[in-house]
Order: sequence, then C-alpha cells, then structure tokens
Amino acid sequence: MGTTIVKRHGSSFKDKMYLSAIFGGMKTTLKNFTTNINNIDALPTQCYPEQLPQDITSRYRGVHRLTSRDDGSIACVACYMCATACPAGCINILAEDREDGVDEKMPKVFNIDLLECVFCGYCVEACPCDAIRMDSGIFSLIAQSREEFVYDKEKLLSIKGAYGNENSVKDSFQNRENSKNKTNSGETHEH
Amino acid sequence: MHELMLLLPFVLTLLLTLATVPILVWMERRIAGLIQHRPGPNRCNIGGFRLAGIIQSVADMMKLVFKEERLPKHITNHLYFLMAPGLAFVAAFLSFMVIPFADDITISSYTYSIQALPVDLGILWILAFAGLGVYGIILGGWASHSKYAILGAMRASAQVISYEVAMGLSIVSMVLTYGSIDLNSMVVFQSQTFLGFIPAWGIVIQPLAAIIFIVTAFAETNRAPFDAAEGESEIVAGYHTEYGAMKFGLFFVAEYIAMAASGALIVTMLLGGYQLPWIGTQDLINHLDVVIMILLVVIPLFSVIFLRWMHKNNTLDASGIRETKVYTKIIIAKTVLFELFLLYGLLTPLDVTSTAVGVMVLQIGIFTAKLFMLHFIFVWVRWTVLRFRYDQTLDLGWNILLPLSIANVIVTAIVIVAFNL
Repeated sequence: MGTTIVKRHGSSFKDKMYLSAIFGGMKTTLKNFTTNINNIDALPTQCYPEQLPQDITSRYRGVHRLTSRDDGSIACVACYMCATACPAGCINILAEDREDGVDEKMPKVFNIDLLECVFCGYCVEACPCDAIRMDSGIFSLIAQSREEFVYDKEKLLSIKGAYGNENSVKDSFQNRENSKNKTNSGETHEH
Repeated sequence: MHELMLLLPFVLTLLLTLATVPILVWMERRIAGLIQHRPGPNRCNIGGFRLAGIIQSVADMMKLVFKEERLPKHITNHLYFLMAPGLAFVAAFLSFMVIPFADDITISSYTYSIQALPVDLGILWILAFAGLGVYGIILGGWASHSKYAILGAMRASAQVISYEVAMGLSIVSMVLTYGSIDLNSMVVFQSQTFLGFIPAWGIVIQPLAAIIFIVTAFAETNRAPFDAAEGESEIVAGYHTEYGAMKFGLFFVAEYIAMAASGALIVTMLLGGYQLPWIGTQDLINHLDVVIMILLVVIPLFSVIFLRWMHKNNTLDASGIRETKVYTKIIIAKTVLFELFLLYGLLTPLDVTSTAVGVMVLQIGIFTAKLFMLHFIFVWVRWTVLRFRYDQTLDLGWNILLPLSIANVIVTAIVIVAFNL
C-alpha cells in the first residue's frame, strides 16, 4: 500500500554503453551554448557596476544606521543590549548621562567596526528602542583604509533608511500614547 | 626559401601549441560560461580593447610569471620537484612535433615534409611521448612529499597505464587498416573514398577503434571526465597541490598542449588530417582557381555574418570600452585585403611553385580549422560530462575498452587477410 517500485536504471545495454547518455548531455549543453552565443544580452548575468541590483528587499541586512526620535535627538539609550548580543563583538559603546531630560542615558561613543561585523542582524533584534536598524539598503561597502570602516555615532546617524519609517518606531509610539493619555486626562478634568 | 621551408613546420608547431594556449584558456572559460548561462571573462582590456576576453588569459599568464616562486620547506629533492613541470611540458610539446600540417611539397626538386620532425615512425614517437607526459605528473606528485599530491600522482599513473594499453591496441588496428605507421601516409590514405562515395576517414572505416581512441585520448590528457588525478573535491588539486606561480603555470600549459597534441592526433588519424573530404592534394593543385573562387565568395560572407553578430552582441556599455567600431574597420580592411590578394592570385597565371605553396597554405588552414573544432569538442565534453569515479575509470579501461580493442584488432586482421586488402 502506497509503495511505488522505482525502476532501476543502469542495467540495460543502452545504459551500460554510456555513450547515448553522454550524447544526450552534449546536445543539451550545445543548445545552451548556441542560444546564449546568439543572444548574449539575454543572459541572466547582471553587469554589476553598470547595472545595479533591483531586487534588494526591505528585509535585506545592509549597513547599520542609528535612528532618531521625533524631536531629532538620538534614540539610543546606551543599554548595551546590541553590544551584548553581537557575536562578532564589533560594537563599542560608551554611555553618558543625558542632560536634556528626554531620557536617562545616551551613548557618548557608538562605534561599529564593519570589517568585523558579520551582518547577522542580532543587534537589530536585541535593541529595545528600535534605535539600530539595518534597512539602509547599502550592500556595497568601500573604503581606502581599515580606520574608515569603523563607523562612529555621527556617521551612523547620518545614514538614511531606504524604506521609509525614518525615526524610531518605539519612540513615536510612546509619544503618541503619551499625548493620547494627556488629552484623555485633560478631557476628564474638564468634565 | 630552403631555410624558410625547413623552419616553417617548427614555427607552425610553436604557433599551434604555445601560442594557442592563451586562446585555449579563453575558449575554455568562454564556452564554459556560455554553456552555464553566464558570459565568462569580459572585462579585462588594454586601452578599451578586450579582444572578446583574450586579454584576460594574457593577464593571468602575466600574474603567474610575476608571482613569487615559493618552495615548500618540506620538499627535500628540489631537482625532481623543479624538473617535473618541465618534463610534463616537454613531453606534451614533443609529441606534437611529428604531426603533418600539410602534404609533402616539392620546390625546385627538393621535397619538404611539413612536419617539425620529418621522420616516418610517427605513431611510435607519439606513443613514446604521450606515455612520457605522465612521468612529469608522477615525479611532481612524488617529489611534492605530500599525501594529496602522491594520491593524485598514483591515480594518474594507474589511469595512464590502463588506458595506454587500449590506446595502443586501437592504434594497432588503425595501423593495420592504413598499412603504415607514418602519419603523412595515413592522411594520404584517408583522401581515398570508401565504398565509392564515403571519404575513407578513420572514423568511418574504423568506428570502434575511433571511439576507443578518442576516449583514451581524453584520458591521456587528464582532462574531464578523466581528471580524477586532480579531483578538487577529494584531494585538493592532486599532483600540483604544492606547486605555485609559473611552476604551476607550466603544468597548466602542459595540459593544454597535451590537449592540442591529442586533438592533432585525432585529426590526423581519424578525421582526414589536412585533407578535405573527396579532394586529394593533386585535385587541389589542379583546380586551385576553383578553390580561390569559392574562397572569394565565402570569406566576405563569413565577415558579414561575424560583423552582424558582433554588432548585435558586443554591446557591453562599460566605461572606456568602445571597440566595436574599430573592430568593424579592421575586419572590413582585412577582408578587402584578402580579397585583393585572392583576386591577384586568380588573375595572374600561377607557376608550379606558387600553386604548391598556395595548396600548402590551404591545407595548413584546413588542419588548423579541424584542430580548433577538436578543441571545441574537448572543452564541450569537459563542461558536459561529470568526472568518473576513480574505480569506474579503471573499470572502463580494463573491463570494457581493453577487450573491445583486442576484439577490434582481431576482426580487422581477419578482414584484411580474408579480403586480401
């Protein structure tokens, strides 16, 4: 029941001759060769520096960037979650007190050594504030020296996201919640 | 003229072996690419001229030449280690030297044979040096003092021993058919017809020996599907694991020269050598004007087809590459010059010497065209057929090809004796 007996190949005289199978394969490859040589432009190969890839999705893990709050200040609270999650140990954070009252802490230094980074995306998943993302869409990373591959806080903040949703989603959400609560409480107070 | 005619075969040998290696590497990579739906090397250029990618193989060779020559520390016998690639190279090169590129030519009562070595023991010479080629591999593997290298060398030697026997026997049956071991008389024999209308090419009158010979020739060159000696998947790179820079380059070149030698031997013994089917040397000499007229029509036709193809396909829009216009001019100029030359040959009455030289040039062209067709087939097979497993290789050699070739020798001998051919 439910068993199919598969016919075994290789025992007939034709199979043992090898040659018919080899000629069949050669026919296929010759067909590939002639169709391709007659129309080289139809090859699926992209001529990379001239033709840029068009199929990079919003989930592609490109170069990291740091997001901002709605007021333009840095969203990162220097909690070290990303540096802890990083398997390559390429994130270097130094925290300082935040004086403007928006939050308690912010990074003084936030360096990512992109030569050590393995682009696994664990930092993005670990971040509680949606402060680090890899949605820049940058797939090609070029520099003249090793030092230039270490991206600092300003550089990471200056990279823009390629797929909308520019600021930290967490921060926007919290602001919306806060303002809603405020208006609600105001209304009740009036009544 | 005398010195020129004596030197010509040497120059041709060099051209068809050493000088074609970059072209063969280019052919290999380009054909492999097109078979696998990718373009192959198409970027490397000198001043915007890519020559369809041939510049890439020149660049690769330059890289190999200028790379640092490293000798691994564990190698004790430097002489053998350094000698091995040279041996492989020289053996492959020498076996090419008895191939006739054109029929014997008589100029002012002196007969020149267009072979680099004008000897009449052709087949024996080729068997000797085709077998010697593997000594370079064995020596390289042994002197490398490394397990992978020795495994590769062992595989190569076992393979060559088992295929040399079948190859020798298939050659014996062909020697019986042609009644000579001289390669040029074999080619002359093949300009006859068989059963009245079929050209008596070796592949037609000895089909079984032809198949065995082609298979063993593939095995002899250590190319796919018989390249277990350098099986990357299990023994790194086989016998040339420890070699780098131009020492590896020599092994690499030797493989392509061995391919050229095998191809030339297949052309000479099985595909009528420098002859066209049905047309012998004497026919060509008698009707050279007809041949020139055909060429006058065919060459512009080919140029037009090629130009149309180039304008359609040579369209890579990279910076600094604007070569199609220049190529078009060069090809048109070449075609016009060639046409004028042929017209001159057609209109002026040719004396005996220039007719003979014209036929010789034509035959060299035919031989080269056939050789490059064989190169295409070598590359085509390499990128189609999978590598045989090592035990399957030996099984095929000893259990199938050897009995078949012995049977073929016996049948051929019986037929020749019975019909008193």
